[in-house]
Formats: sequence, structure tokens, C-alpha cells
Amino acid sequence: MAGALLFGTIGMVDVFLAMALLIVIASFVSLYRGIEGPGIFNRIIAVNVIGTKTIVLLVLIGFIYERPDFFDIALLYAILNFIMTIAATRY
Amino acid sequence: MSDTIINLTNVITILLLLVGAFFMLAGTIGFVRFPDFYSRMHATGKCDTLGEGLMLVGLIVYGGATFVSVKILFLIMFILLANPTSTHAIAKAAYDVGLEPWRKLDDRVEWMNTGDTGNTSNTGNTDDGGDDQDGGEER
Repeated sequence: MAGALLFGTIGMVDVFLAMALLIVIASFVSLYRGIEGPGIFNRIIAVNVIGTKTIVLLVLIGFIYERPDFFDIALLYAILNFIMTIAATRY
Repeated sequence: MSDTIINLTNVITILLLLVGAFFMLAGTIGFVRFPDFYSRMHATGKCDTLGEGLMLVGLIVYGGATFVSVKILFLIMFILLANPTSTHAIAKAAYDVGLEPWRKLDDRVEWMNTGDTGNTSNTGNTDDGGDDQDGGEER
């Protein structure tokens, strides 16, 4: 995207980068509960939350670098995250 | 003018991304700050699903009607199915193991003294002070 009138040279890629940075910050804040959190269930749900954020991060990366391959990776990651959570709660 | 950042598609995309990021950050803050496992799950299970759905809808609006958008739509539908299911599975596993819900102090002492299917190690105790602190640290 070319430069805008109001925003100078800010394009949509920069907006996506800012959103990706917000998601990474939120993932690291969740990682605190995953490390520090008492009990196994807090760690399981921390892994679930970080995986959920990673899906959006992968889709954002696919839009930033203009590569449609990342959406397949995001879909596969969603399925793996779901199966991992179900398998972890069975045992 | 059509390739600038200010047109209708980009504004809708930025608004949806910002609202989704707000929900995600609120869910993360609730996940760190809430006192109990179940209330942490209450924070994350809804806020992450909604925030992620809103951000992906914003990216669909940005992408337009292409094959990629259909793929992201399938991703949203799968997440709307899978994320509450996994949240329910974790909560049910935690309840079956015997993790007690967080109560206020008086309610919790009364609930412990009446006896229930949870951890019964503190049931017969009439001492109210130290046991609640121990119970609070374990979950």
C-alpha cells in the first residue's frame, strides 16, 4: 500500500505488524502463568491460550509476507492444538 | 485515493483488528490476575474465542472474496467449535480430579465443614485460619 494523506507512509503491513506485536506481548504474559501457575491445569490452559494466539499470528504473518502457505499451517496448528488439549485432559 | 490506507475496507479491518486485540489482551490480563483456575478459564475461554474470531473476520474483510478468505472462514468455524470444547474438557477434567472452586472465606469454610466430594482433608478441622491459606495456594 502506498502512503496515505493522514498517516504518512503507514501502510496496512505496519498495522498487521503492530497487531502481531500485541499478540506476541499477550503470549508472553500468558507464558508467565504457564511457568508460574500452580498445578498442571493452569499449564494446560496456558498452552491452549498460547496456541490460540499463535493461529492468529500465523494468519497475520501470511498477510504480511503475502504467502498463502501460512493459512494451511494455521489450520493444521488449530487441529493439532485441539487434539493436544483433548489428549492432555484425558490422561 | 484508492490505494491509500483510508478507504472503507481498511477502516473496517483496522477496527475489527483493534477490537479483537482488545479482547485478547483483556482475556490475557484476566488469565494472569484472576484468583482461581475456573475463573481464569472463564476469562480465557470466551475472550480468546471472540478476539480471535473478530481478528480473523477483519482479515477476511481485508482479503476480499478469494480462496484464502474461504480458508480463513473454515478456520473460524473450526475455532468456534474446538475452543469451547477444549475449555469444557479442561474444566471437566479439573472438576473430576477434585479441584475446588474458589469461594469467599465464610462460604468456603461452611462448604468445607458440610463435607462434599472435593478434597476432604480439611473437612473435620474447626480451625479456620491456616487451612484456607493452604487451600488457596494449591490451586
